[in-house]
Amino acid sequence: MASKNQGSTPRALVIEDIKVDSVIILRMLEKLNCEATVARNGKEAVDLFLKGKTFDIVLSDQDMPIMTGPEAVVKIRAMGATQVKIVGVSADFGGMEAFMQAGADVFVPKPIKFETLESMLQEVIQKKNMHG
Amino acid sequence: MDYSNLRRQIISMKKSLFDQGYLDEQFNQLEELQDDSSPNFVEEVVALFFKDSSRLLTNIEQALEKYPQDFYRLDSLVHQFKGSGSSIGAVRMKNECSMFKAHCNNRNLEGCRRSLQKMKREHATLKQKLETYFQLLRQVGPRERAVNSWK
Repeated sequence: MASKNQGSTPRALVIEDIKVDSVIILRMLEKLNCEATVARNGKEAVDLFLKGKTFDIVLSDQDMPIMTGPEAVVKIRAMGATQVKIVGVSADFGGMEAFMQAGADVFVPKPIKFETLESMLQEVIQKKNMHG
Repeated sequence: MDYSNLRRQIISMKKSLFDQGYLDEQFNQLEELQDDSSPNFVEEVVALFFKDSSRLLTNIEQALEKYPQDFYRLDSLVHQFKGSGSSIGAVRMKNECSMFKAHCNNRNLEGCRRSLQKMKREHATLKQKLETYFQLLRQVGPRERAVNSWK
């Protein structure tokens, strides 16, 4: 996908503690020519941002040990990372409210569909190309 | 076994897994992610699922036998099991997990125990069926597996 557009490869952060789920999302991102980093819980994700890492999109699971997805989203936004697209992902539809209140841009149910991910990445790339 | 017979057997087996409610569309999604660069993707993901879920089933069983029962932890464990089962399209297991969660909600220990036995049976059955399916797929070779013509 990135090769069809001007601008750099999109960078995704996947926050997911369940290995099966992270392997599947990583494979989708690979097919979409997206660079991906995995954090196993919300704290690992927040630590990446604290180290100065930047991402174009964050895909976060809800329930994880140490720090949940919504908790991480609150902290990421509080650090000033307001431009990064944050997607809450959960099999529990009750997670939508928690994610949106935390500052996520969108919620998608698990398992995430390839077409949904592709569409979200296209938006991210378009926005990235517009702003240079 | 000649190729066309093998192909028919694979298609028939996959159709049966769907018709009998073992798998849903999510399994097709996984097969769509398989290609020449990752020709064993589905089998690898399924193997990973069965490895993790076997451990989860043991943890659930141990948690059920503790006293007093921690229904919050039980719910959390089954939630993980349900989530990763959904990710590979294991619809029967997902449904049984929902039953288990309902029993947890009602603090119904006997209900949880019955559900766990059903989850274990569904788990073992699906594992056996998918092992057979992948054995057949291996016989056709990596390129044909990657092409995903098993619709």
